[in-house]
Amino acid sequence: MSLVARLLALRNDPRAQKAPPFLSALCVIVGVVWLLILPLNEYSRQTYVSENALLPGQVHTYFGGSEHNIFRAYRQEVAALGDKTDEERTEKLAEFFKTCGLRVARQTYRYTAAGKNITGQNVYAVLQGPRADATEAVVLIGAWRNMDHVLNQSGVALVLTMARYFKRWSLWSKDIIFLIAGDSTAGPQAWVDAYHDAHSPTTVESLTLKSGALQGAVAVDYPAGTWGHRFDKLHIIYDGINGQLSNLDLFNTAVSIASGQMGIGCTLQRMWKHDDTYQERLETMLRGMLSQGLGHASGPHSSFIPYHVDAITLQTIGDGWQDEMSLGRTVESMFRSLNNLLEHLHQSFFFYLLMQANRFVSIGTYLPSAMLVAVNFTITSIALWVQSGRPKQSTKVGIPEPKEKKGVKEDLTVLKQDGMVALVPTETLEVTERQLFLPLTFVCAVHFLGLIPLYVFNNTFESSLTSTFTVSTTITLILPPLSSLFFTTLRTPTRQDVTLLSCFSLLLLGMFLSALATLNFSLAFLVGLATAPLSFVHLCIPMSTNGTSPPSSNRLIPRIVCVAVVFLLAALSPLTLTFAVAWATEVHVTEVLTAASVGWHVHGLWTQVVVWLLWWPAWFIGSVVAWLGATGSLQD
Amino acid sequence: MSFFYSILFFLWFFISHAHATSDYYERLLLRPLPQSALLASFNFRSNASSTSFDRQHFRYFPRSLGQILQHAHTKELHLRFSLGRWDDENWGTRPWNGTREGGTGVELWAWVEAETNEEANSRWLTLTNALSGLFCASLNFIDSTKTIRPAMTFEHEGKYTVKSEKNLHLLHGTLPHEVVCTENLTPFLKLLPCKGKAGISSLLDGHKLFDATWQTMAIDVRPVCKQDSLDCVLEMEQTVDMVLDIERSARPRDNPIPRPPPLEDVECDTSKPYNAEDTCFPIVKDSEPAWSVTGVFGRPIKGACPLAENYHSQSSGMICINVPPEREVIPSSELKYEERSHNGGFLRCYEPSAGADFDLTLPEQQLSIKAPIEQPRMYASRSFTGNGQERGGVRAVITNNSPESVSLSYLESLPWFMKLYLHTLRTTVKPFTLSTSTEEDAHSDLIREVYYRPAVDRHRGTHLELLLNIPPLSSLTLTYDFEKAILRYTEYPPDANRGFDVAPAVIRMLSSSNSSLHGGSTYLRTTSLLLPLPTPDFSMPYNVIILTSTVMALGFGSIFNLLVRRFVAADEVPALDSNELRSKVLGQIERLKRSFRGKGAVGKED
Repeated sequence: MSLVARLLALRNDPRAQKAPPFLSALCVIVGVVWLLILPLNEYSRQTYVSENALLPGQVHTYFGGSEHNIFRAYRQEVAALGDKTDEERTEKLAEFFKTCGLRVARQTYRYTAAGKNITGQNVYAVLQGPRADATEAVVLIGAWRNMDHVLNQSGVALVLTMARYFKRWSLWSKDIIFLIAGDSTAGPQAWVDAYHDAHSPTTVESLTLKSGALQGAVAVDYPAGTWGHRFDKLHIIYDGINGQLSNLDLFNTAVSIASGQMGIGCTLQRMWKHDDTYQERLETMLRGMLSQGLGHASGPHSSFIPYHVDAITLQTIGDGWQDEMSLGRTVESMFRSLNNLLEHLHQSFFFYLLMQANRFVSIGTYLPSAMLVAVNFTITSIALWVQSGRPKQSTKVGIPEPKEKKGVKEDLTVLKQDGMVALVPTETLEVTERQLFLPLTFVCAVHFLGLIPLYVFNNTFESSLTSTFTVSTTITLILPPLSSLFFTTLRTPTRQDVTLLSCFSLLLLGMFLSALATLNFSLAFLVGLATAPLSFVHLCIPMSTNGTSPPSSNRLIPRIVCVAVVFLLAALSPLTLTFAVAWATEVHVTEVLTAASVGWHVHGLWTQVVVWLLWWPAWFIGSVVAWLGATGSLQD
Repeated sequence: MSFFYSILFFLWFFISHAHATSDYYERLLLRPLPQSALLASFNFRSNASSTSFDRQHFRYFPRSLGQILQHAHTKELHLRFSLGRWDDENWGTRPWNGTREGGTGVELWAWVEAETNEEANSRWLTLTNALSGLFCASLNFIDSTKTIRPAMTFEHEGKYTVKSEKNLHLLHGTLPHEVVCTENLTPFLKLLPCKGKAGISSLLDGHKLFDATWQTMAIDVRPVCKQDSLDCVLEMEQTVDMVLDIERSARPRDNPIPRPPPLEDVECDTSKPYNAEDTCFPIVKDSEPAWSVTGVFGRPIKGACPLAENYHSQSSGMICINVPPEREVIPSSELKYEERSHNGGFLRCYEPSAGADFDLTLPEQQLSIKAPIEQPRMYASRSFTGNGQERGGVRAVITNNSPESVSLSYLESLPWFMKLYLHTLRTTVKPFTLSTSTEEDAHSDLIREVYYRPAVDRHRGTHLELLLNIPPLSSLTLTYDFEKAILRYTEYPPDANRGFDVAPAVIRMLSSSNSSLHGGSTYLRTTSLLLPLPTPDFSMPYNVIILTSTVMALGFGSIFNLLVRRFVAADEVPALDSNELRSKVLGQIERLKRSFRGKGAVGKED
């Protein structure tokens, strides 16, 4: 009883009322520091293969010898198909598969995104495993063109050679599907959508030939030309659409086979040089987070992951002494491992951050970081709610006045409850009514307003995306002062209005971000970091007044602070940040927007939804609050 | 109607002609298929007259099976062990029109004689349990959740009197997850009179049989009567059909690894401009591959089975090979054998003598005429649609390849945890001639009849049987949705994350022009499906157990502590001063002394 009373009394403690901004700031700082210490040995772990059935690298690989000659011939054939039309190409590839004794089918797709047509044709062959009963299948993908739109000549040739080679084995207990996709993003997406009958028949053709449930997929990206190219390392790409990741066991199997059995170094997240120092680990992790946060397709494997099919891409990089046969043997060994699987990959982690080919942190270790950033908004919003319900003339907060000095009796009220009587100052019993309508309507309206840019950006032609971006940036930057002006003309907003406005906006932001952190940690963290200043915007508005109007000089300083905040927020708007990041990474902003639009129409990308319906409204309301503070036209 | 049918009919004629006279005979049909595949179709038949069967007087009919049938009052039995898939596109029609094959895993259906349904169920249970022991298969897992009573898809093959037919109950069960292996082959061979020691059954080796691309073992027991229904025999037919990959099977057993062949052995296409010493585009040989029975099956035929009646009869050969007339077939020359040629030379039959090994060798040869492949009249495929843990859908595509409309029955036996929404059952039909862009038109008259028995949780599965009509040259798509049930955590198998197998759908083509064969029906089975169900994290229960145990231990410990400890206020405890300590120590010493003395006294007394 006494404990509860004491806790309740804390509400009126001046120290407790001052604490929230500091607590929020502490949360953000701890969250960031938490992330920064993850690459240390004490907080990250060595990777390990959880699934015992995989037995990576435990088999002899026999791909070699005369297969090398056949591979070279296929590479010549692929080169000859380089400038043919889609139909001619897939027909010839289908013929190659057919002569190996496989069943072949083709599929056409035609997507429209950002005003351009993405068309192509997939060709795939099914090797019916001699020990299989059509219930399970694994996929070997060779996209015709890789992510850089370079002809994947040796990769496709390798798929053809592997198909011929695998056909001779009698140990396959799963069907093997050899997929030569028309390109690296839309092709695999069309195929995997149609495989699960989740496609729209108007854009994507249905598959005529199917096998069992997909258990895994490995894509090969080896764009070496007709005369081959000896590579140095394998770059393993593992992130999928919307930041979903493939099972860590698959990645570990690839690393363990490549580096352990074949002696090929592995790298990830385009870190061509990795000496396992703290800085490089951190950089790898941050690159991984950026890629995960953007949630775009990073390779042919990406489209498979939303269907709970674990997939990775093996990409060859650098100049070294590894040839196509060692890549072939890696693929052979991987398929032997996948063939061993008794169950769907489920043992290892689906949520992880990798910082080196064999070091990772799991969700339990990294999640608090994004959660702390999200919690900071919730803390502020609770504090603002409490503040909004406080009586206006509560001048005593923070200024304890000795009672006898006043010499006047304070207003006391007699309370009777449960046979007990108490004298309580009347002041504390006063209730301020919260005017909820205006703030709630405004917060809702702004969140719905986000649908407009979401629609516009996903339905604009590529040619006019740049102008659309410029116009939306201008409108976005102008709209907050206009709204604050509109506010003041409608009815002079009270401090309570502004407080509640911030409160609801931050409440929603904190809630959504903490939910998002469990799905896409990186996106939640990045958005949380970009919106962290919004927790402190309200501080530039003086909340405690004495009823008597203060000298104008007292009002001027907060207003200057608010003007500074306005400019800071303008720099942190989603659009300006996108522009700045694009500029810093030397990517044209149109490319980013086109990729986003293609992602929306082809892959079902959700990043834009988070940006326009979560980040943008929160930023917008923060800016309006700052503008209201800057104009100083608030009534008590 | 066609070439293949005529061969089947030819064989059927001899078989049906033979059964009246002989009690046991066996036949092997070898048929090379495209893409270096070889269909080997083994057929064994043994008869027992109904009188001798009733008196438990067995000669060729296996006693072990006969007694089980008598005990379970089973009149007709069909048991299938299958593995792999038949490739309709390349291999043409199925052997025996699909009547002698089953879905992946084990399939069993039988006509049990019983007065009531309950009695039939209990006899069915007896039968499955007994067969489970006999065939080393998990047939005992065919419980009520996996048993259905098909209404339209199966018809009995035997002859019954009207009175006995009334009491017959058809029960059907499948085990799609059962892996057929050597332990099922051994009891299968044991049922044969020659037990795999002689005759064509000596070719049945587990290593080769289970390396086949497709194989099915069938046991069919049925009463066969002459026109006058008094003279009845119980006929048991054992069939093994398999499609071997010649290249894979001919690989020596001591070197089974398909290493890349030496460069000299790879034939290169020298017409390619880039052909060089290190670049070789492989040529696919157009000629028929060379093979021999010994090479493919790993052993020769150990002579004829002396018990087989056709060994003496003049009707037909024991080993038949279906190749064009110009194909060279060299029997092992030093032996006596009889060769006969039927059907325009496309079928050659051999009659080896008993007691000596027999082999057939076919050299590599370029043929001008290939043995024609009869395209099947119907294809079927079935797959899951959608993804996620909660709902799913099934999409079956049945293609009618013939120029006449076909009526067929479609049978699904679904596990109870796959909860079918019957209102989502849709059929669409799409003719071949229309371009793909044309809208598929939905027909309501495609389904003529629906037999549906909904599932009861944990007691019985869904039984769905449809009577469908497919217009000529068109494909019918059948879709329905279902909900996935959440199982109790003890109901998951040890490999819970693999998923659950859903039995293949059985399709029976009803109207058929060549109704003279096998009662006129053609059977077709889809592949089985793997249904992923929501699976708990099985380490969770252990975490919970550990956590609850800790909490309980803490709670119990503190309460126990409170109960048994005596609480005394600090000032109530007498202070410990030096005097008291001294007296206490002295008292202890005194007690020790006394006990020593006591013991010493006892020792003296002894």
